[in-house]
Amino acid sequence: MVYGVLRFINFAHSEVFMVGAFIGYYLGKLVPEGTLWGGLLVLTGAMIGCAILGILVERIVYRPLRGGPTINVLITAIGVSLLLQYTGQLVFGAAPRTFPPIFPAANFHLGPLTISSNQLFVIGVAVALMIGLQLIVFKTKIGTAMRAVSLNPKAAQLVGVNNNVVISFTFGLGSALAAAGGILYALNYPSIDPLMGVMPGLKAFVAAVLGGIGNIPGAALGGLILGTVETFIGGSQFSTYKDAIAFAILIMILLFKPAGLLGKFTTEKV
Amino acid sequence: MPRPHLYLLVTLAIAFGLSRISDRIDPYHLDVLIGVGINVILAVSLNLVNGYTGQFSLGHAGFMSVGAYLTAAVTVFLGPRLLGEDGGTAFYQGAIFLGALIAGGCGAALAGLAVGIPSLRLKGDYLALVTLGFGEIIRVIFQNFEPLGGALGLNGIPAYTTIFWVLAFVGLAVFVVTSLINSTYGRGFLATHDDEIASEAVGLNTTRYKIVAFVIGAFFAGTAGGLYGHFKMTITPTGFDFTKSIEIVVMVILGGMGNTLGVILAAILLTLLPEVLRPVAEYRMIIYSLMLIILMLARPQGLFNFKLGRAKS
Amino acid sequence: MPAPLLQLSQATIRFGGLTAVNAVDFTVNAGELCGLIGPNGAGKTTVFNLITGVYQPTDGAITFAGTPVAGLRVNDIVGLGIARTFQNIRLFGSLSVFDNVRVACNRHRATGPFQTMVRGAAFRADEAAIARRAEELLDIFNLRRFRDAPAKSLPYGEQRRLEIVRCLATKPKLLLLDEPAAGMNPTEKVELVRLIQQVQKQFDLSILLVEHSMKVVMGVCQRIAVLDYGVKIAEGTPAEIQRDKKVIEAYLGEDHQTALSHH
Repeated sequence: MVYGVLRFINFAHSEVFMVGAFIGYYLGKLVPEGTLWGGLLVLTGAMIGCAILGILVERIVYRPLRGGPTINVLITAIGVSLLLQYTGQLVFGAAPRTFPPIFPAANFHLGPLTISSNQLFVIGVAVALMIGLQLIVFKTKIGTAMRAVSLNPKAAQLVGVNNNVVISFTFGLGSALAAAGGILYALNYPSIDPLMGVMPGLKAFVAAVLGGIGNIPGAALGGLILGTVETFIGGSQFSTYKDAIAFAILIMILLFKPAGLLGKFTTEKV
Repeated sequence: MPRPHLYLLVTLAIAFGLSRISDRIDPYHLDVLIGVGINVILAVSLNLVNGYTGQFSLGHAGFMSVGAYLTAAVTVFLGPRLLGEDGGTAFYQGAIFLGALIAGGCGAALAGLAVGIPSLRLKGDYLALVTLGFGEIIRVIFQNFEPLGGALGLNGIPAYTTIFWVLAFVGLAVFVVTSLINSTYGRGFLATHDDEIASEAVGLNTTRYKIVAFVIGAFFAGTAGGLYGHFKMTITPTGFDFTKSIEIVVMVILGGMGNTLGVILAAILLTLLPEVLRPVAEYRMIIYSLMLIILMLARPQGLFNFKLGRAKS
Repeated sequence: MPAPLLQLSQATIRFGGLTAVNAVDFTVNAGELCGLIGPNGAGKTTVFNLITGVYQPTDGAITFAGTPVAGLRVNDIVGLGIARTFQNIRLFGSLSVFDNVRVACNRHRATGPFQTMVRGAAFRADEAAIARRAEELLDIFNLRRFRDAPAKSLPYGEQRRLEIVRCLATKPKLLLLDEPAAGMNPTEKVELVRLIQQVQKQFDLSILLVEHSMKVVMGVCQRIAVLDYGVKIAEGTPAEIQRDKKVIEAYLGEDHQTALSHH
């Protein structure tokens, strides 16, 4: 979504994910374990915190470079990503910590399958956020503005859209979602550390590109495909190749559909 | 004599001279110099791909690892058989090393071909992501390849790397890149970067230029890897990951993309910097990333870029 | 009657639901100077893109000197002998004026990349010949004094001339000029007409011109084809075109008499 509006891969997104998980960790300490309202409070808190972080990063670092060659912003994003990773290591220490069980835990049995409530939460929250996002992007004024800016920033300005506000909003929204992702991830893989965002972040981009970048349902589809394939590989004999699979899939898809599965190529006018 | 040839000969002479007096130089300084040289080869070769031809490649470390492993495979497994029981003369060892390095470079070049061809249709961010992906795939493959050590890496690599070899290959890399670029043929790389559509319209085969850039860049990254392996005497797959690729990319950007001299200076600076920052080692990466951000905000055309109009828009 | 140099037979291209070029028949004979005009969006640049291989025709055929152009790469079509300029100038901005021309000489290099590294006598002779040729071309167009300046620092008119020089460096038989007079004042347009005629004679070329400026088109073209919504609605000499009812109607919306005679 951020890519659609700003046209660059925000490498720092994976670190916002990590920060979300850590905010959740600290907030989780303040809230009684295993309660629904406590869990939701932590989730909301982390989302707000990261939204602020995302907006700040955009204002300070990305905005001055807008309009210049995208490669400069890309490099800067990498810089921000590294900065957050290593500052995180300094502040939080590199050792992994255990994420508190902020939501009530229970296991449900469906025949031979055991599903934990945390897993249900992931699915539930993910779906809710997806629907919420689609609603925002397609049914609200600011969502329309986001789409306008992503298609033609100059024209958007000419019809009265305040690009700065829209872009800040997009970043805030994206960061909040990353935070939610961080919390959901930490619920199911409770060991968190400052470098936890790197791999998930890369795979998130793979998923987004897979589905066609700038396309939200596409990104969801990509994420679904990637997650499914990875899990199957993880359970098979090739489990150590898990990380490489994500990229192998990406490369395969891009070979045949350079714009991703659901994506559209904007052809350059000659 | 043509200028690039002159520079190459001078570099080889210096390399030879230094190797003669190498036992009189402080071994720590010699090590640093070797480290600098290896990074210069990496940076100059990446500059051909990223800087001159404008293909944003984030997988250079992958080619380095292919070269490192292949070169080591030759010297560790094939070497003893060729050298015999007594280990052979220094000259013979050197010959084997040279052969191994070239083999490593060629292997890396093949990998460059494998990466370059699918990447042709991709632009900017997509290309960056795919090259990154290739780098990661190569890492995972080596992590799972037991004959070469798997995740624990390959040990016991003979210490063949000397200041002579490093400087010789620095000279060669700079020679190849500059002699190619400064020619009618070589202007094609720059044109491909500037405007692919216009390049095709004046008869340039932009696809071929991109592939050639990838292959040559990968070849030298491979030789740098081989030199690295025989310097540290042990290599692991994680030592050639995304972070390493980023380090090389930073050198190219710092030096000013498409500016070989600037890139050489940047490589020297960025290799010496961790040494200088040793007392504050835990802040090293933080300072590094801050530097990157500040550099992009303040002087995106690179620190050492004194030419007019080099910043791409 | 010798075979035409360039021949479009029922050339058609569809983009989804839009037929941008619709069954166009057109030929350019060797040594001719032809024009392609029409209101904005008529498909003129698209025709250029079809000829040069940027687009592949959905239907119909395009042949150049007897060779079908379909399926060939853009740079190979340049090798056949077609060169084109662009509506929005596409120079190599970061290269010098000299290098812009020099890089276009690549297809006629006598030595390869390997010899470039070895830099033997053959290479040096090759480079010297290329440099000489580039300088000569720049000289004809009065651009030699800008030789080492970055191409993007040139004034607009000079940039347009440089684009044409770059085309000539590829030794074309057919030159496609896409709105060469865009952004020029009347004096510059007169100079352009003179330049086009000079270029044609000096380099023994055929030229196909897309233009909005009627002054330039009528002054320089022997034969003109008119496109409207992708369809060829008329073809003939400048005088015939100016009187053609369909052409006048197509340009309706502007002051049509003045549109055709005063641009």
